[in-house]
Amino acid sequence: MKIKTVWFVTVWIVLVQALCPPQSANAENKTDPDQTEAFRKSLVYIQASVYSYSSHQPWRHTDLSQRIGYGCAVGPYEVLTTACNMADASFVTVQKFGQNEQIPAQVKVIDYESNLSLLRLDSSAVDEPLQPVSFSEDYRKGASADFYWLDDDGRVSSGRGYIDRAELYQSGFSFALFLNYVISNVSQRSGLAHLFCKDGAAIGLGCWYNEDIKESGVIPAMVINQFLADVRQDDYEGFPLVGFATAPLLDPAMRAFLKMPEDLKDGVYVSDVWTLGTGSDMLKKNDVILAIDGHEIDAYGKFEDPRFKRISFEHLITTKTVAQVLAFDIWRDGDKQQLKITARNFKADDMLVPYYEYDQQGQYAVVGGFVLQKLTRKYLAGWGSNWQGKTDPHLYHYFHELAFKPSDERHDIVILNLVLPAEINLGYQALRQLVVTKYNGMPIRSIEDIIAAQKLDPQGKFDVIEFENNNPTVVIPRDQLPQADALIAQRYNIEQLAHLE
Amino acid sequence: MSYRPRKSGYLWILVAGLVLFGCWGSAVSSALGNEQLLSKSVVLIRGVSQDWNYSMPWKQTAMNWGSGTGFVIDGKRILTNAHNVSNNKYVEIKKQGQARQYPARVAFIGHDCDLAILLPQEMSFFDDTEPLELGGIPEVNTTVSTYGFPVGGELVSVTEGIVSRVEMDNYSHTGADSHLVVQTDAAINPGNSGGPVMQKGKVVGVAFQGLRQADNIGYMIPTTVIRHFLADITDDKYDGFGSLGFTFYPGLHSVSYKEYLKIPDQEEGIVVLQTLLNGSIETILQPGDVLTKIDQYDVDNDGKVLIDDLRLQISEVVERKQIGDQVEITFYRDGQIHTEKVEVRLNRPVLGYARQYDKKPGYVVYAGLTFVPVSRNFLETWGDNWLPDVPHSLRYLFYYSQQLNQQHQRLEYVVLGEILPDEVNQYCGKFKYQPVEKINGMDIWSLADVKKAIENPDGNFCMINFMYLDWPLIIDLEKGQTRHNAILQQYQVSADARISDAN
Repeated sequence: MKIKTVWFVTVWIVLVQALCPPQSANAENKTDPDQTEAFRKSLVYIQASVYSYSSHQPWRHTDLSQRIGYGCAVGPYEVLTTACNMADASFVTVQKFGQNEQIPAQVKVIDYESNLSLLRLDSSAVDEPLQPVSFSEDYRKGASADFYWLDDDGRVSSGRGYIDRAELYQSGFSFALFLNYVISNVSQRSGLAHLFCKDGAAIGLGCWYNEDIKESGVIPAMVINQFLADVRQDDYEGFPLVGFATAPLLDPAMRAFLKMPEDLKDGVYVSDVWTLGTGSDMLKKNDVILAIDGHEIDAYGKFEDPRFKRISFEHLITTKTVAQVLAFDIWRDGDKQQLKITARNFKADDMLVPYYEYDQQGQYAVVGGFVLQKLTRKYLAGWGSNWQGKTDPHLYHYFHELAFKPSDERHDIVILNLVLPAEINLGYQALRQLVVTKYNGMPIRSIEDIIAAQKLDPQGKFDVIEFENNNPTVVIPRDQLPQADALIAQRYNIEQLAHLE
Repeated sequence: MSYRPRKSGYLWILVAGLVLFGCWGSAVSSALGNEQLLSKSVVLIRGVSQDWNYSMPWKQTAMNWGSGTGFVIDGKRILTNAHNVSNNKYVEIKKQGQARQYPARVAFIGHDCDLAILLPQEMSFFDDTEPLELGGIPEVNTTVSTYGFPVGGELVSVTEGIVSRVEMDNYSHTGADSHLVVQTDAAINPGNSGGPVMQKGKVVGVAFQGLRQADNIGYMIPTTVIRHFLADITDDKYDGFGSLGFTFYPGLHSVSYKEYLKIPDQEEGIVVLQTLLNGSIETILQPGDVLTKIDQYDVDNDGKVLIDDLRLQISEVVERKQIGDQVEITFYRDGQIHTEKVEVRLNRPVLGYARQYDKKPGYVVYAGLTFVPVSRNFLETWGDNWLPDVPHSLRYLFYYSQQLNQQHQRLEYVVLGEILPDEVNQYCGKFKYQPVEKINGMDIWSLADVKKAIENPDGNFCMINFMYLDWPLIIDLEKGQTRHNAILQQYQVSADARISDAN
């Protein structure tokens, strides 16, 4: 299987190179400040219909909306764009230069951590293959950078700025920190997946824009190339992710407390270790990370990269591939040690409280009008702006303190979100936002446990649900459940009373 | 009875003279009122208050002048609202039509019921006064008249209104206490506070708060609450309103829940959820018990009792008792009926939801680190929108302290508040506003423990652990001791700890 794949990839690359020479080959255009002509066969305009599920009534779709975005070709029928553009996309079309018809496309891979997504175009609808772009990892602080995109009227537009720095940023959709180039003094607003270039060569895709200070963020070539290399494999694995939290170690008193010699000035403090991600199995709280793969880590958690200068240590982890081994030099219990740590990643679904929940319906069960579902960040964010201060503090506590710490005892936090009023739940209708501990006496470790729990005590008269924090026990008469559930489904227009797969 | 904090959208008038709003009632000139009543019983109160700075509790905030109303009652006393004379530095009283101002003192103050008794320094003040007599609870849809000095005017004004509701509600002065209130459509404006609300020549309430969002909705403290206050102070000290210290859920509307709890069909009642740690009922009731009767009153499925022809929360039964009195409760457990006597106590939770007054806040300062108890007053230093704005760990404690605290020895939660910047603590900023768990290995159950723990270090460091942070704050002991006095001097902190008032 592997051999066949390698053969296929090789043939594919040869074909692509023969048919569509990569744009970086246009080195002779390096001095030409305007590359609109050169990139016009590579840029696309994307329209996505967004149809997600309500976080608070997970059986219900939210209103249909449209999202526009941009992208560039990385294969004759493949388009690279940001994951932000494609989240919850139900139908995607791509518009290319010189073709009026919109081309249907499918999301082949989406990675919210790196904020990248690969689309596959319907080749039968494409009149002429796209011209793939290859990304140059060349980086020079202060260099001029241009950016290009295809407008909805088929015109290629451009803007300009300067490469100011490289820094790690969160995508806004994910918790992970990834390297971005920051382009300053941009001449106009840059959009998601605008193609950024230096000296005529593509160097990244736009991923954020700050109107106040006229700065744009760019997903750099090295992240893109790593993503594309992974995509070409059989199964997309994703980027390794950090499995611990750090805090700056500046305080001399704290360093002395940790018995660190005075001449040891570097090292970042491990303030928390999760149960997911790289280092979660090896590091301990109170460790100090002195170096990773020979790169000295300073007290702020940064290291000196030959190209990007001082950037955060997370970059050393995300640039590995999953299962590669990293050498961590640490200070533990008054001594230096070296740990061999395997790079690991995880999915948002693996978290105790998932950071995001795109492209899928949330898991839930409606039993006698009691809406049980998995606690997610999306659910909490449903309280709107400044949701952190508006949500129930106990639920927020699970996100704030324990989101990255699932355990064998608890994979999910299952909550009673609300009660859909009906005769069967009279007396309970004011209950909401309670954490479920047991269902029919069975500890609830994950939302899927409800299926097994409902089968317990088949002769029993009631389904019994218990909650944290001394809340009332919910008692549901089993003999009334079938009729009540049917009525509730009809009354509240719920097609499916449970979605637990 | 229940100490769960309310998420009320109400914004009440807090202190007379501070909040002005345009819901003026049909003010009638004093000439149209009862002349004798106006000139001989209703008095203007002016005073200066000064609160404490709860972030830097050795300091006080700016002084504030305010005015309100009071009235003469039997025993040569003046009854008014507590919020007119809270944190009082100076108070004077004045009768209508007389230029003379009489300095007075606050003899008794009940913040939980927003009532206070003032005594003039010269008892000759009462020479030409007539005490007003207390009446009963006015009936709904009857007319009442509110007397007072709105917005500090020197002539008594009268507004008439109709009684629209009698129910338990929040008393905004502390923000947490709930007692019976009478609602009228007579406007109660700043300055009216403390004035008598009259019906048929008798006092039926003390005007005390209004509703900002609605025109002409005013509230008065009914005579049941006034009488409780007056009875309480007959022993020359004010104890306050007690409770039984448990939370409940009106869950027996569910027939299945009722059956599950083995409650007979004909019974109504409420389900006990939690008893307060160290509370008077802690060893008597258990979660899942069902309370069906309190004294002679049957408890319905909403948690209400019929008392004086009014259907009121069961807490009203306890409200009418004094601290130390007993109530008899009847409850079911596992299908068996039980009856027990329970003592009424203050039963305050470790993190008080009530705003405090007239109490010097406690603190401990060490190496520029200020430790204070977590309190509503401290949280309100975040401003009007404090509840969503305070750090998560403090908001979590404010909402859930009763559920989170399982330690009988805990008296309060302590938080690292203000940090007085100095070389010894220059890296400690990230620990600010974190609740403290341990200091030098010692569990912190109160502010007094902070002082003890700091005075008993182990080794060369002072180590402070926090409840919701995974790493400790470390202070070099020698440096801490060296810098401690210099910091106190630099920031003019008169003493490095004040504990007695807080505990």
